[in-house]
Amino acid sequence: MLEVFIRSTFLGLQLGMTFALIAAGLTLIFGMMDVINFAHGALYMLGAYFGTVIAGTFGNYWLALLLAPLFVGLIGAAIEIFSLRPLYGRNPLYHILLTFGFAIAIQGAIVLIFGGQSRRIDVPTVLEGTIQVGPVTYPVYWLFVLIVSTVLIALIWIGIERSNLGILMRASAHDTEMVNALGIDVNKVFTGVFVFGAILAGIAGVLLGGSRSVHPGMGMGIIIEAFVIVVIGGLGSFRGAVYAALLVGLVTAYGSVIAPTLTELFLFAMMAIVLIIKPSGLFGATEAA
Amino acid sequence: MQWFTDFFDRSHALETGSEILSSRGRLAVAIAVVLLAVVAPVINVFEPFWLNILVRMLIFALLALSLDFIFGYAGLLSFGHAAMFGAGGYAAALLMREYTQNLFVVLPASIVVGVIVAAIIGWLSVRAKGIYFAMLTLAFAQMFYVIAFTDLPATILDVDEVTGADDGLVGVAGFELFGEPIHQLAGLDHRLLYFYMTLALVVVSLAAIVRLANSPFGRVLQAIRENEERVEFIGYNVTRYKVIAFSISGGFAGLAGGLYVPFQSVAHPGLLHWEISGELIVMLLLGGLGTLWGPMLGAGLVVLVEDLLGGVASWEIILGGIFIVVVIFAPRGLAGILISIRNDPSQALTNARKTLRNYIEKVKG
Repeated sequence: MLEVFIRSTFLGLQLGMTFALIAAGLTLIFGMMDVINFAHGALYMLGAYFGTVIAGTFGNYWLALLLAPLFVGLIGAAIEIFSLRPLYGRNPLYHILLTFGFAIAIQGAIVLIFGGQSRRIDVPTVLEGTIQVGPVTYPVYWLFVLIVSTVLIALIWIGIERSNLGILMRASAHDTEMVNALGIDVNKVFTGVFVFGAILAGIAGVLLGGSRSVHPGMGMGIIIEAFVIVVIGGLGSFRGAVYAALLVGLVTAYGSVIAPTLTELFLFAMMAIVLIIKPSGLFGATEAA
Repeated sequence: MQWFTDFFDRSHALETGSEILSSRGRLAVAIAVVLLAVVAPVINVFEPFWLNILVRMLIFALLALSLDFIFGYAGLLSFGHAAMFGAGGYAAALLMREYTQNLFVVLPASIVVGVIVAAIIGWLSVRAKGIYFAMLTLAFAQMFYVIAFTDLPATILDVDEVTGADDGLVGVAGFELFGEPIHQLAGLDHRLLYFYMTLALVVVSLAAIVRLANSPFGRVLQAIRENEERVEFIGYNVTRYKVIAFSISGGFAGLAGGLYVPFQSVAHPGLLHWEISGELIVMLLLGGLGTLWGPMLGAGLVVLVEDLLGGVASWEIILGGIFIVVVIFAPRGLAGILISIRNDPSQALTNARKTLRNYIEKVKG
């Protein structure tokens, strides 16, 4: 029993931190640009597929982990510049609709290019096998994913709180016109944030591609979980997204032991309860949408 | 009970002449309906496959209509309309399997179930605004999806199956009246009869929704969309109006489900999945929000593209691509384009150029 508990906790933390990578991008993009990015799941999926291609071609996982997110970032830049940018100032609903269009189109492109069958990213031999953590045997790869995502999340957190760039980002979100007036090109800041979010989603895609299957439905699947996370945490709140991601990861892991079929139901119930009690989420600042 | 009397009064719209769906629009709808009714038997003889597509187009037009009523008029972006659609469908499937195939029992039951599900989701969600409302409706609809997908009711009731889990309920029978299949009673080909029945119900629904939108009730909804706080200050109970509007919309969505499931003879969890809700919003925006006829047109187009290109792996790229272009260049949808061409055909080309120039400027930043 204790073994199962410890194992689930580790799995939950690992899932939670990877979810946090995805949700962080989503919530930063919303917090700054007021854009609910439905294509975020598709970008995550692109990361995983680029990962399978690069790792498959060069037989090098590390190259995939490095390059795939950058390619996703490039695609993110194109999406932001050519489609999101012309829509700023319009009703935010148009951004939902636009990115939904991208989600559909990217999924179609994936099916067209790679077909419908599922794939997997081969992990290097160093990361294969299991490790003994107390009484529990645990896959090395899971531990690797846990460590990488935790380090990344910690770095982003510090970056947002401490660095000049983080201050600039928060200022742009808070008062776009003022920052613009100070001679800073907010357009570039927005593009940067969107690309950054895309890269994070890409990294999560490669990381999870090594332990979960890579298939055309994964983008639409993850986006709902990511929404649940950012809504529970409070849209636009980075801190909220990280805490909520851990919560969702743990609930998913424990749920899959206790009542596998009802896990999803728990998540949506959790989200609904949070929204009904506190519509702005646990760490959300404003209720206005 | 102000809202109740509000349903039945349309003097305001008549006085101001600001009717939703003008007399010209009504004429266009009437012509379209007559055309469809005349062409259908011909299609059925030569290309029966096309009649199937037409029925699906009509059913999704009805679903789009139901969403446009609350999104276009009350400004409530529901991301969970699949819940009411699927609930109506499952209600029809279960009723027909267990009790009766009577048309006049099954379809009203689908409507009632749609209203009930919408009332529950609406009552729990309408206090949240904008994006949060969309997320809540999405969450509740996904709950219904999970319940159907895992067949939770069967576990609770301790029976073999209720929703049939991921297989769904297959082999749903057709409608009957007085113990006979309806097409035999009417002496028509079953596909053709289903088409006429659906067409009639869509027309009746459109008339009912136009009538509602033109009543003081509909005006209050529009006022809520424009400025909720002001309506609250005037003394209207905004929450109640929203819940009622959402429930009405759910009834039409339930009807669409009740028509869809016996036609496809299968009820499966996919009907409740959020991708249906998302696709529905694609239909609305493609057609043009708040025009009623636009979203119906959009629904028809999307179903057409999906069915025609369904075999091609890239149909999603085409659909997504069309959608992206429409959102960027024609935010008011096809209806918006048609209206601007009708208003001033000579300006259409200049406007198009202006839109393109605007776009390039904005991309440059």
